[in-house]
Amino acid sequence: MKKNVSQRGPYILLIAPSFLFLFALTFYPLYFAVKNSFYYWNLATSPKPVSFIGLDNYINVFKFTPFLASLRNTLILAFVGVAIELFFGFLIAMALASQLKYLTYVRALLIMPVTIAPIVVGFMFRYLYWDKVGFIPWLADVFNIPEPDEGFLGSKITALGAVLLPDIWQWTPFFAIVLYASIIAVSRDLIDAAKVDGAGQIRLIWSVILPTIRPILFVIVLLQFMRLFNSFDIVYILTDGGPGDSTRTLSYGLFREGLRNFNIGVASAYTVVMVIIISLLVFIYFKLFNKRAAL
Amino acid sequence: MKMKTISKVSIYFFLIIVITFFMLPIIWFSTASIMPGELVFSDPPTIFFEPVNKAFYEAFLNPGPHLVQLFNSLTITSFAVLVNLPLSFSAAYGLSRGNLKSAPRILGWYLGLLMAPPIVFLLPYFIMISNLGLSGTKLSIVVVLQVVTIPFSIWLLKSFIDEIPFEIEEAAKIDGAGIRAILFQIVIPLCAPGIIVTTMFAFVFAWNNTVFPLILSDHNSATLQIGLLSYFSASGAIWNLIAAITVVSMVIPMLIFLVFDRYVVRGLTFGAIK
Repeated sequence: MKKNVSQRGPYILLIAPSFLFLFALTFYPLYFAVKNSFYYWNLATSPKPVSFIGLDNYINVFKFTPFLASLRNTLILAFVGVAIELFFGFLIAMALASQLKYLTYVRALLIMPVTIAPIVVGFMFRYLYWDKVGFIPWLADVFNIPEPDEGFLGSKITALGAVLLPDIWQWTPFFAIVLYASIIAVSRDLIDAAKVDGAGQIRLIWSVILPTIRPILFVIVLLQFMRLFNSFDIVYILTDGGPGDSTRTLSYGLFREGLRNFNIGVASAYTVVMVIIISLLVFIYFKLFNKRAAL
Repeated sequence: MKMKTISKVSIYFFLIIVITFFMLPIIWFSTASIMPGELVFSDPPTIFFEPVNKAFYEAFLNPGPHLVQLFNSLTITSFAVLVNLPLSFSAAYGLSRGNLKSAPRILGWYLGLLMAPPIVFLLPYFIMISNLGLSGTKLSIVVVLQVVTIPFSIWLLKSFIDEIPFEIEEAAKIDGAGIRAILFQIVIPLCAPGIIVTTMFAFVFAWNNTVFPLILSDHNSATLQIGLLSYFSASGAIWNLIAAITVVSMVIPMLIFLVFDRYVVRGLTFGAIK
């Protein structure tokens, strides 16, 4: 049934204020980025764009900033992070789904890391990673894992992993708890029927549980992938993108270009390239997996 | 369902390891706030010690440089939620009930805002705000926070409004009630739990947002978490203070999550999963 304008009017009026507000807050930055990506402008030397320079800023993004290294780090963080968090999150969710005694307390405690601001998690792990005397180096020593001379955060080999660990620590519980909620919602009848048909535990997970929770997986994997893709706070606190470029992410690189070096032109071009990459990734993700999603 | 003792034991064993892994960093770091300074980095790590509460005292009471930051965090977050709620509620209602063709696209765009890298917005906001002469003000942070808190609240609130049977409103409409009466006398009372849950999670969402204040605040408007940055190159004893500030900044979100435990999944997934 179609509604005429007078019926829809009040609803449009209800939606409009926040819509216009968000429209301004979204499209001003986009307009700003697109426009200034064609201008030479360093805020440290001029309060206004200086001159039109065509595509130079775009060339400089790749020539003078470690864009490809940052993209590589970002993608490693996002893919590896989501894979590890999803795997262990699912494992923990399955254990919780046994619904043994006392597990409700476990679940309530488990959510605690998620409640902490990422910047605070950064400080927490700075403390835990503290060279030689922190908890993690001490623990590594106990288990005979060699600590690099520069520390876990200071070595090019271990730094990216060391930046990923706090994220895994913070967000695996998110997967665990959301997946737990969806696993226990899988209908008992379905599981019993599969068992009567002789399905083992692995078969049960693969053919009954995973297909049923697929729409939920679609949502949370997307959310977490993007959150990891946007990694900034942790990098800022733990490594400042270093050593070298080994932990520089796209978000951190953009921060450096725009808000440390004040290269507005280059940062604007950087933004445009980044938005295109993200749109592409999300588009591919929807093309590949969007079947009966909850969204 | 009967389960073999051995598999029960192994599940418990696994979960004990899990809980240790996820709780230990919090406990370890938090205890530094009540540790005597010289024990903070000892080798091997100190486990038993005489607790002191000097760090909390120094950070928040005397001389208490962080008390004003605690106040800033509370005001910025509270105002962010206050601005956001009426806007979000009306939009959530309109999107839930309006039967608008563009509703899915609007909601998709809002979800996109929640997933977009905040850094992308920051540089233009930073310049816009200084052009307006509002640099470093709490107002600027409150306004900018809306770009994430409004979409978050709309999604979450809409999931609650969707659950209210439409028939009640239709009946009221047939009886001649206008949209305002329907909203204030039917929908808002029925949706009260949803509004409370959304308020609390939006509060946490804004409280834990550190990217915007990181760039937009100055020393007068810095939030609690940003206050930590003044100890950036810290070593040794100052970790007492850092841990004390951290503990205070963690308490509120943790309590909200514990109290609203039943809604945690829903809050974390913006209402997409109930």
